[in-house]
Amino acid sequence: MQTASVTPDAISSVLSNPSFDSSSDRPEIVVQVVDLKPIGNRYTFSANDGKTKVKAIFTASLTPEIISGKIQNLCLIRLIDFTVNDISSKSTKYFLVTKCEAVGSVLDSEINLESNSQEEEEATTEPKRQKLDHSPAPVTPVSDVKMDVSTGITLKPKQDFVSKSASQIMSEQRGNAAPAARMSMTRRVHPLVSLNPYQGNWTIKVRVTNKGVMRNYKNARGEGCVFNVELTDEEGTQIQATMFNDAARKFYDRFQLGKVYYISRGSLKLANKQFKTIQNDYEMTLNDNSEVEEASSEEMFIPETKFNFIPIEELGMYVNQKELIDLIGVVQSVSPTMSIRRRTDNEMIPKRDITLADESKKTVVVSLWNDLATGIGQELLDMADKSPVIAIKSLKVGDFQGVSLSTISRSNVVINPESPEAKKLKSWFDSEGKEVSMSSIGSGMSPLAKNGSRSMYTDRVLLSQITSNPSLGEEKPVFLSTRAYISFIKPDQTMWYQACKTCNKKVTEALDSGYWCEGCQKKYEECSLRYIMAVKVTDSSGETWISSFNDEAEKILGCSADELNKLRSEEGEVNEYQTKLKEATWSCHAFRVSVTQNEYNGEKRQRVTVKGVAPVDFAAETRLLLQDISNKNNNQASQ
Amino acid sequence: MDTSSPSAFVNGALLRRYIGQKVRTVIQVIGSDTGSVVGKSTDDLQIVVRGPSPTPPLTTYLEVIGIAESDNSIRAETWTNFGNTFDPQNYNELCKLANGEFKHLFI
Repeated sequence: MQTASVTPDAISSVLSNPSFDSSSDRPEIVVQVVDLKPIGNRYTFSANDGKTKVKAIFTASLTPEIISGKIQNLCLIRLIDFTVNDISSKSTKYFLVTKCEAVGSVLDSEINLESNSQEEEEATTEPKRQKLDHSPAPVTPVSDVKMDVSTGITLKPKQDFVSKSASQIMSEQRGNAAPAARMSMTRRVHPLVSLNPYQGNWTIKVRVTNKGVMRNYKNARGEGCVFNVELTDEEGTQIQATMFNDAARKFYDRFQLGKVYYISRGSLKLANKQFKTIQNDYEMTLNDNSEVEEASSEEMFIPETKFNFIPIEELGMYVNQKELIDLIGVVQSVSPTMSIRRRTDNEMIPKRDITLADESKKTVVVSLWNDLATGIGQELLDMADKSPVIAIKSLKVGDFQGVSLSTISRSNVVINPESPEAKKLKSWFDSEGKEVSMSSIGSGMSPLAKNGSRSMYTDRVLLSQITSNPSLGEEKPVFLSTRAYISFIKPDQTMWYQACKTCNKKVTEALDSGYWCEGCQKKYEECSLRYIMAVKVTDSSGETWISSFNDEAEKILGCSADELNKLRSEEGEVNEYQTKLKEATWSCHAFRVSVTQNEYNGEKRQRVTVKGVAPVDFAAETRLLLQDISNKNNNQASQ
Repeated sequence: MDTSSPSAFVNGALLRRYIGQKVRTVIQVIGSDTGSVVGKSTDDLQIVVRGPSPTPPLTTYLEVIGIAESDNSIRAETWTNFGNTFDPQNYNELCKLANGEFKHLFI
C-alpha cells in the first residue's frame, strides 16, 4: 500500500490561479505521469491528478532522469519547479516542468478519481474534464484498473475488464470524427530534418510559421503566380515550401498562418542560398499532386520563435548587409501612418516609424511597412504611453540617417513577449531607462563615412571581430573603428608607387626621361612617390593585415614616401630606413577602417583598408573602456 | 617594480577607508599654504595634503602618494605632476572599480 498519491484537484487549482508567476508561490503538488513520450530531445506527458489531465513537457535537462528510469510513465512526481505556459495561438495551457522528483513507486496504471467518469475517457472528446486535447494514443489501456492508492481518496468501484478490438477502441474514442483525423493516427510522421530529395515517401506534420503573399511574375517562359510558406515541425526544424500556378492557387487559401498541417508528396531540392533566409540545405516545392491536410483536432508543440537580439549600439556592423537581424526594445514613440509611393510600380504603401530604445542607451528608428504599419502599428500607437517592449524578427538594416531598420514581408513583431530579455529590458527601463538621456545610434555616423573623416569612436570593434566574420563587407564596405598596435612593416615590400604630382594617379616611365600620366594625358618631368603600404596590426584580441594609402601611411611612419625612399637607398652603417620602420612598429593608433571582400584566385578574401588614423586619446579611450565594463555588468547583472 | 608598499587608489569618498594606510590620489590644486596644499579630489571633495611641498613648477593636476591621516587629509610622501589635461571622471571611475568589484586585481 502506498502512502503517496496525487494532490487532489491540484491541476485545476493551478490552472485557475494564473497569478502565481513563480512556482515558489505555489504549493508543491504531486501528479502522475501518463503518456510519457519523447519529442526530439525532450519528453512530453500528461500530468494527471486523478480528476484532470493537462499536457506537460519536461525540460531537456530532465531527459537524463527519464532515460535512466528515475522518472517513468505512470509514476508519481512532485513538481518542485514548473511554469504554466500557453500553447501559442491557442488558449490552452501546458506545464513546463523544470524540476521534479519521483515519489513513491511506479504505479500500474492511471489514477482516476472521478466517481462517474467513463473508463474510456482518456480520449479527446470529453468536454467536462476541461483538459487539453492531446494526440490520442490508441494503445492507452481502455481497461483501467482502479487502484487503491491511498486512504482518503474515494475510488470508483472496480469495473470489469472488457476486452475490445482495436477498431472498437478507435471508434469509441473518435466518435464521428472525420476520416482524415482518424487517418492521422496511423500516419507516420517524419521529422523535417530527415527529408531529402531521394526519398519521396514521407509525411510531415508542420505549422505554418510564415506565409508570403501571392506574387505574379513574368519571365522568358511565360507568366505565373507563386507564393511560399515557412514550415516548422515539432523539433524546431524549418523549411521553405514554394507553390507555383495551379498548386499556388489550390493551396493559398488552405495554408493559414499558425495552423498545423500534414503534408506529403512534395519534392525537395537544394536551396538557392542567394535567396534563402531559412536555415535549411533544402527547399520544398509542392505541386498539384501534393497533399496538404489540416491537422485540426490535434495539438503540436512548436518551439517558440527563436530570436537572436542585437543591441542597438552594435547595429553599425550590419548596415547594408544581407543578414537580417532581430531587435528587442522599448517603444519611445510611434509616428502616424505615412503613405509612400513605391518607385517600382508607383503603388502607395503605408509606413509607420517607431523609435525603440534599449539598454545600450541608444535609440533607433524602425520602419513598419504595409500590414505591420496599419495593423500592429496602430496597436502600438494606442499603447505608446505605456512604453511596451516589442521584439521584431527579420529586420533589414539600412543606412538612412546613419542606421535605419525596415520590416520586410517575413518580419514578425511581438508586443510584450514573454521572454527573459523582455523582462530584463522592462525592469531596466522602469528603473533607469525612463530618465536616462539617450542618443540615436545614427547620430554618430553619417552616409559620408566613405570619406573616412568619421569619428574614431563609433562602431568600435576589436580586430578579432573583423577577422572572425568572413562575410563582413560582402555587399557594401563596412566602416569600423579600432585601436591597435602596428606590429610589423615588411621592409622589402613595394611600399609606394610613382604618382602624378597633379592627380595622384599612377604614372608610367616614358622611354625618353620623364613620366606619362594617363589621367592627365600629359608627360611630366618628375613624379612623386605615394605610399601603398601593407602593415600588420595587433590588439589584445588578434591581428590582421591592413593596407594604408599615402596620407595615413605618412602619419604612421612620420615621413613622406619620397623621404623614405631617399633613406632606403642611402649607404652607411646605420640604415635609417630600417630605423624609421622600427620606430613606427609597436606604436598605437586609433584607426578608421573599411572592410570589403575581394576575390583572389577564386577565393574570397577580406580586405581591410585604413581610412583614417589618429593618435590615441587616452581620455576618450578610457571612456570607451569604462562604457564597455558597464555594459558587461548590465548584461551579467540581469542573467 | 617595487611592490613592497602598495598604495590604494582613492578619491575623496574612499579616503576614509584607508586611514593610517598608504594611498594615492589625484587632486586639482585649489590653493597652498606653508606646509600644506589644498586640492579638489576627482569626486569634488576637499582634501588637504600636508608635508613637504612639491617642487614647482606645478601642473593643474597632481598625484600624491602618502599616508591617509583622516577622512580628508593625507601626509604626502611623493608628488607627481599629472599635467593640465587630465580627465578626473575617468580617474574617479577607476577608483570606484578598484575598490569595488575589481578589488581583487589591486591590493
